[in-house]
Amino acid sequence: MIEVEGLVKRYGTHLAVAGVDLRARPGEVVALLGPNGAGKSTTIRAITGLLRPTAGRVRVCGHDVVRAPLAAKSKLGFVPDRPYLYPKLTARELLRFIGRLRGVQDGDRRADAWLEAFALAPVANELIETYSHGMRQKLTFAAALLAEPAVLVVDEPMVGLDPRAARQVRDLMRGHADRGHTVLLTTHAMDVAEALADRVVVLHRGRVAAEGAMAELRAAAGTGEEGLEAIFLRLTEEASEGPPPWGPAAADGSRRAGETAGRGG
Amino acid sequence: MRRPRSPARRAGLVALRARAFVHAVRRAPGRYLVGGALMGLVAWGMAVLVDRGVRWIDAYPLIGTIADAALRRSVEAFVTVLVLAVAFSVLTTAITTLYTAADLPLLLAWPLPAERVFRLKVFETYLASAALPALLTLPVLVGLGTARGAPWSYYPQAAVAVLALYALPVAAGSLLALLLMRLAPAGRVKEVATAASVVLAAGLVVGLRALRPEQLAELTPEEFEAFLAGFASLDLGVSPATWAGDAIWNGLSGVVSPALPLLALVAWASLALLGRVAAWAYQVGWVRSLDGSSRPRDPRPRPAAWWERPLARWGGGGAVVVKDLRLLMRDPTQWSQLLVLVALAGVYLVSTASLEVEGQRFRDALGTLNVAFLGFLLAGVGVRLAFPVVSLEGEGLWFLRTGPIGATAVLGAKFAYAMPPLLLLGLGLGFAQATLLDVSVNLASASIVAGGLAAIAVTGLGVGLGAAYPRYDATQAAEVPVSPGGLLYMTLALLYAAGLTLLLAYPAWTTLVDPAVPVWSTPAGLLTGALAVAWTTAFAGGALAFGRWRFVRYESGCD
Ligand SMILES: Nc1ncnc2c1ncn2[C@@H]1O[C@H](COP(=O)(O)OP(=O)(O)OP(=O)(O)O)[C@@H](O)[C@H]1O
Ligand SMILES: [Mg+2]
Repeated sequence: MIEVEGLVKRYGTHLAVAGVDLRARPGEVVALLGPNGAGKSTTIRAITGLLRPTAGRVRVCGHDVVRAPLAAKSKLGFVPDRPYLYPKLTARELLRFIGRLRGVQDGDRRADAWLEAFALAPVANELIETYSHGMRQKLTFAAALLAEPAVLVVDEPMVGLDPRAARQVRDLMRGHADRGHTVLLTTHAMDVAEALADRVVVLHRGRVAAEGAMAELRAAAGTGEEGLEAIFLRLTEEASEGPPPWGPAAADGSRRAGETAGRGG
Repeated sequence: MRRPRSPARRAGLVALRARAFVHAVRRAPGRYLVGGALMGLVAWGMAVLVDRGVRWIDAYPLIGTIADAALRRSVEAFVTVLVLAVAFSVLTTAITTLYTAADLPLLLAWPLPAERVFRLKVFETYLASAALPALLTLPVLVGLGTARGAPWSYYPQAAVAVLALYALPVAAGSLLALLLMRLAPAGRVKEVATAASVVLAAGLVVGLRALRPEQLAELTPEEFEAFLAGFASLDLGVSPATWAGDAIWNGLSGVVSPALPLLALVAWASLALLGRVAAWAYQVGWVRSLDGSSRPRDPRPRPAAWWERPLARWGGGGAVVVKDLRLLMRDPTQWSQLLVLVALAGVYLVSTASLEVEGQRFRDALGTLNVAFLGFLLAGVGVRLAFPVVSLEGEGLWFLRTGPIGATAVLGAKFAYAMPPLLLLGLGLGFAQATLLDVSVNLASASIVAGGLAAIAVTGLGVGLGAAYPRYDATQAAEVPVSPGGLLYMTLALLYAAGLTLLLAYPAWTTLVDPAVPVWSTPAGLLTGALAVAWTTAFAGGALAFGRWRFVRYESGCD
């Protein structure tokens, strides 16, 4: 269970999150969408206790993240957008560290099960610095799920995963929610959000632009039977958005004329 | 044919770095202001000390005629020691800045000649390894100048001489590092470089020992004068340090020595050569040690090691200690510090053992001095061993910040991790000097207690202030204390050591008056002991509480 109420986060003078309310219930997968810089990662970092909110409250399973951080964090598994894993540890040593940090009973057995599930067992005794990006990503998931947390928070899970691993991670998040836990993820992959999420929250410029199940979003965006991508684009339209400088509209007539002339000759 | 360069490109890389620095200052002006002020204060203090010292020596009747030559040799010896220090620290620095730097692939992907990229990297290497020795040397030369009433032209000359001089070990050390990268087995280059610098450092220590400085104390005034005369006429031969000495002494009397342009030319040429060679070596893949090792894989599950189990019972804090110990074992830039520590302790013990003092009273006086010295020594060791331990968490900090572990447990774990080597050193040296010097019982117990207390205080100060002023972006432990927080640590640690010495002056004084009188069982003795413990607790506890307070409020990526 995640409850975010009136979350505001300011970096110096820059307002990154301007009053966000958000709720994710047990058994539910909530997708946090929004353009680059919308404040998704900032919201997630406030939920996981990496940032102190400028204003507002964040509760995880009823525990206030600022006032009772240990209780809140013991319920939490986190996969950051750019996870750093100690390069000089092996996968097995890292999972053992996490297991002890979180007081997991029979941590070694569980770690081996996860290593097996992610096909990391053959390299489990190698230093993490020798892993590929996808292997690291999978190991981060194993670390986050090792303690079977009541709340799983994932920032951009699909980046750099091969199709099989992407499918696996998707099933994993769905399965985690189906076991009665809460899953909150951000993603730029609309198909993932559409297939996986029970509810979608669209952030735009630090505010919630829309929220609800797919059908509710369609109604809010005033679109018909469109996919999430069209809804997303409609909801986050920028008045100032012009065509890119390299696009056809920006290329001036003379160049196109020259090309035509060249072809004609 | 030369490609035309745009102005933006010419301004290029150094300007880019300079701008990044300006932005950093703008974001936290207070920190840099305080740091700059502290550094200025230290430099000013050094300059004043040197000024007074030079005036005193110049006025000293016995050695008046050779004072100048003796001074000059001292300055040359001082810079030579620093040159050697640069040479030995540059080995590992060069590898991290020149060849394994994270920004290197990006810079090389730019449409810039590789040589320019490596020129920047050479400059960075120079800054990283020579800036601190230069900052130590310049106040000394300023003090010398003011004491001798040197003309204004002396100061730029002295600065150029020093900056050029320290470029030489940077170039030599970096070229040696390059050679090591070729010769070291794949994936083991850091270990080999570290081993090489430890050997170099040990050689330096042995060389200093060969001078047997403690013999100086045993000389009669006539012998001392003869020794000084010999030292003054000592010919170091054609060495860069003598060139620098020549340039500085000529500058004192307003003359430009031909040694100065020579030195500057050699320095510039060797740095330029280094840039070219490094670029070439990188491009042709000469530095094959960058490739990882390729042991055969053994996927069998490995149980936790025997030494992990008792620590694991401590929960989160224990997990952090186990992880830190594993990382320590695998990071040569960290464990090499322990080797240096062992070498230091060895020198200290040998020096103490070689002191032959007649009379209990003199031995006790010396023992008291040694207790004072022990505090200062531990303060210096703590800056390397205790201060960086929180910062070394680095980017891995997110595991702790998103995990169910509190700041108290984190700092407790770091304290437990940093404490054993310092405590071992403090108690061991305290005990060793008491036995070696054969001091009275009162002082022997004081010496051991002082060693233990100083170790605790220094660990607390280091871990606490290191947590309060972290540098999670540092690439190695040696970088972490180069900050206002490091200076604050040094100031407080020295203050602590001075206070402890003052407190121990009471038992020392009593013992000197009458060695047979028991001290520690008297009310005054007990009070002294209690005050020493309170003094230690105040420093260690205060720093840890402050560090905890700041650690809780720290936000990743927002400093
Ligand atoms: N450490 C920081 N200091 C200052 N500003 C920051 C910092 N981190 C993020 N911001 C700003 O806060 C805003 C929100 O950033 P955030 O990382 O939350 O976006 P996001 O929605 O995760 O974007 P993306 O999809 O690109 O990951 C951005 O405008 C960003 O520039
Ligand atoms: Mg983001």
